[in-house]
Amino acid sequence: MKESSTNIYRRDAVIGIILILIAAILPFVFPTRYVVGQMTIFFVWATVVSQWNLVFGVAGIFSLAQMAIFAMGGYVTGMLGLYLEWPLWVSMFFGGFAAVVFSVIIGIACLRLRGAYVALLTLAISQTMYLLIITDTACFIRQGVTCRNFTGGTRGLARFGDFGFREMLPYKYMAFGDYFLALVVLIFAVAFSIFLIRSPIGLAFQALRDNSNCAVARGISRFKYQLLVFSASAFFTGLAGAVYAGHFRVMGANTLYLNLLLFLLSMLIIGGVGRVWGPLLGAAALMLVDEVLKEFVEWRLAGLGARQHAGHPRRRRQGLRRLRQGFLQDHRRPHHRRGREERLRHADGRSGHGRKKTVRSIRRFHLEWCHRHHTRAMRPTLDRARREISQCQGHPGVHRRCQVRGRGR
Amino acid sequence: MSHGKAVLSLSNIVSGYGSQSIIRNISFDIPESGLVTIIGPNGHGKSTLLRSISGIVRLQSGEIYFEGQRIDGLRIDQIVSRGVVHIPQGDMLFPDMTVHENLLMGASLIRSRNEIAERYGKVFVLFPQLEERKNQVASTLSGGERRMLAIGRGLMTGARILLLDEPSLGLAPVVIEEIYKIIKNLNDGGQTILLVEENVSRAIAISDHIYLLDDGHIAWQGTGEELAGERHLMEVYLGA
Amino acid sequence: MDGWIQILVSGLTVGAMYAVSTVSLSLVWGALNVLNMGQGAMLAAGGYIAYTAVMSLGLPIPIAIVVAVIVGALIGGAMYFLIIRFMIGKEGFETNVIVATFGFALILENLVLRLYGAYPLRQPIGLEGGWYFGATHIPYQNMLLVVVSGVLLVAVGYLLKTTQLGRSIRATAQNREATELMGIRISRVFLLVLLIGGGLAAISGIMLSTLTTLAPTMGYDPMLKAFIICVIAGLGNIYGALISAFVLGLFEVSIQFIFGVRFGFPALLLLVILALVWRPYGVFGKRKTERL
Repeated sequence: MKESSTNIYRRDAVIGIILILIAAILPFVFPTRYVVGQMTIFFVWATVVSQWNLVFGVAGIFSLAQMAIFAMGGYVTGMLGLYLEWPLWVSMFFGGFAAVVFSVIIGIACLRLRGAYVALLTLAISQTMYLLIITDTACFIRQGVTCRNFTGGTRGLARFGDFGFREMLPYKYMAFGDYFLALVVLIFAVAFSIFLIRSPIGLAFQALRDNSNCAVARGISRFKYQLLVFSASAFFTGLAGAVYAGHFRVMGANTLYLNLLLFLLSMLIIGGVGRVWGPLLGAAALMLVDEVLKEFVEWRLAGLGARQHAGHPRRRRQGLRRLRQGFLQDHRRPHHRRGREERLRHADGRSGHGRKKTVRSIRRFHLEWCHRHHTRAMRPTLDRARREISQCQGHPGVHRRCQVRGRGR
Repeated sequence: MSHGKAVLSLSNIVSGYGSQSIIRNISFDIPESGLVTIIGPNGHGKSTLLRSISGIVRLQSGEIYFEGQRIDGLRIDQIVSRGVVHIPQGDMLFPDMTVHENLLMGASLIRSRNEIAERYGKVFVLFPQLEERKNQVASTLSGGERRMLAIGRGLMTGARILLLDEPSLGLAPVVIEEIYKIIKNLNDGGQTILLVEENVSRAIAISDHIYLLDDGHIAWQGTGEELAGERHLMEVYLGA
Repeated sequence: MDGWIQILVSGLTVGAMYAVSTVSLSLVWGALNVLNMGQGAMLAAGGYIAYTAVMSLGLPIPIAIVVAVIVGALIGGAMYFLIIRFMIGKEGFETNVIVATFGFALILENLVLRLYGAYPLRQPIGLEGGWYFGATHIPYQNMLLVVVSGVLLVAVGYLLKTTQLGRSIRATAQNREATELMGIRISRVFLLVLLIGGGLAAISGIMLSTLTTLAPTMGYDPMLKAFIICVIAGLGNIYGALISAFVLGLFEVSIQFIFGVRFGFPALLLLVILALVWRPYGVFGKRKTERL
């Protein structure tokens, strides 16, 4: 794809502007409280998913802590409003910052983990947060005769105010305030994520995702970029949490429910993991499905689970790919990842003959090979991609020399 | 080509990964009790060829016949049960299992206890070093012993044809010598073998017939003596 | 002194329960690379089936338990036939399987919810009474649980170590392609492992529900704990998982005793994070050589 980057940015901008225009006009076309409210929530979720895409899709880190970060943003915002009586417009940014700090901590905890381990750990963190909130019964503040706990517990955190649109806008347009606020946050979030994905930093994330050993051999520090992606994706997530809190005027641990996590994860996956406009598509698709299923409340969750299976790899790719063709960038993965199940052989030096020397020369060759092939991997063209596939796909000759010695064993 | 009827027959094979074709239109036969070697530069399809035969890689087009029956498109276990045994590159042993257990795994398809015991005994006759290390965990073996275990494990299955992928890989010359002696012995005893080798001199020494694979095509074929005479081939393709 | 014995008893019991559920997870993960997010739902289902067998069908308790285990195994089989089967060998298996089993769990949980309602039920299975060690009361129920899980785990260990099937399972965990080259049908192995995993999950659920109550979401917490234990032990390492289960059960109970119940889980989590920072592949885990 010899497309110049300005063309790509221009295309993104065009799509973006069209979508913004539609979104701006929509509430005037359907001014009902319900539709406007639902769209507001949609914007909030879309924001979260677009940022989650950075960690999960682009950087390939299976973090399931996104909602915990979202909740942190919301709770901090609410608490600053409740306990320090700060206006939400100010505390929302602090909520964002708190989310960033929290996310970085999570990133550090997960630093040396791969794959499923990250998923488990982040899920556990999320669950811990939930439990700590739910079981919070200790008396924190005495208000008259009643005792209030710190986090709001099972009833949720409330009475921290809102964004003040009720006072500012006429009755008819009251809900529009939150709507446009959520929209603005979404716009910034998506713009940020597009910018990040298409930047060298984004390429580094993808390199680490696709072949982290190679990337590391080329000098891309996993530590640095992992922390970067966790912190970058957290700000808008926290902000989204703040918007959620201000919109509903209550912040509860229900945001940490597993089924909500699954709902958003589905948006991410169905929209296309790692793609630029994927999250939005997925969010829109699933909100629609959810609306339809709301008619059948009891089966909503079951339907969601079933949708999960229907939206599976092959079908999802083909269906949505046709949709996307024409104006969405197909960001290609330069190599076919052959699945992490690939078990490996031991890197044998020539038995008993100058093992150390061989290992060193293997490492050197490995670096050279990675350098050569990885540079290509960063900017794939079609035939390069073909060659990549043949070379990274299990070709014994090349691979044999590139096996990295594992420690211990 | 040579004596004996064809036991393995490849016909216009096209194979590869995903949409990529690595093997482009290959056809050849392997006669009963023959020892055929595939040589060629790395990355050009030698291993892919073996993997296509054993069923790990699906053919994109073409047919493979073994003892008269078509085997391409079958499941790996079905192909193995017909006696096509692939001893993969790098051994692919079960690292946390003992030598004994690895060998037993090789006999997974054998029902008769006697047969298993018999083959087990034969493996140790062939590789006495393994007998001493019977209860040792596979990951602690030396490179040569691992190779022997891999071959022994393959023999446990009762191979009607052995597909050997680079048996000299990563071994010291002394060990390679031993391994090749055993391969020659097996072949003399009637075992049909398809060998993939990077080490050209070894190939020349023991094969009935050699095929040179270049970029997925058969670029040359002939006997060992003929190959030794082709100086330019040796230089261009094999850096010899 | 009294308190410590209490902690020991509770810790061992809890550890025993976790051990069974952890072994199930570890087996499925180790052999199949499947992170079974449906474990929690299967746990709950097992408890409910036993409940139904006793209350509605009037079966004697041992039979009810067997029935529940069989149904649990069938649920595992269902997971194979409906989901896992189509995903084997495809790209992105590990991620997709997490999401897919997640979805399966939701459906299962919903089913349980619709059939039994959300109100917690009391599991009729259990022994009354106990033994007095000094001033501490050691319920027979707890002792039974420890014994049962001990027997179960020894059986699983035996299966894995000596039988042909067990060897195939271990082989699949160590090198799937090589196992296929031995002539073993991997799809069979998948099915069998999921059946065993499902049965174990059901037993774990029954045990758990005798100590607490039956609720549709009862499985979520223990599942997470089993995950954590697996992670500490190194996913796929069954003996490590066993030891870790007991150690962590004792740890959790101690923390709960000293600081309060709500700090049990967070303390566990902190321990896990520290353990993983020290050893990213799990305390007993092994670092795998990676191919580029």
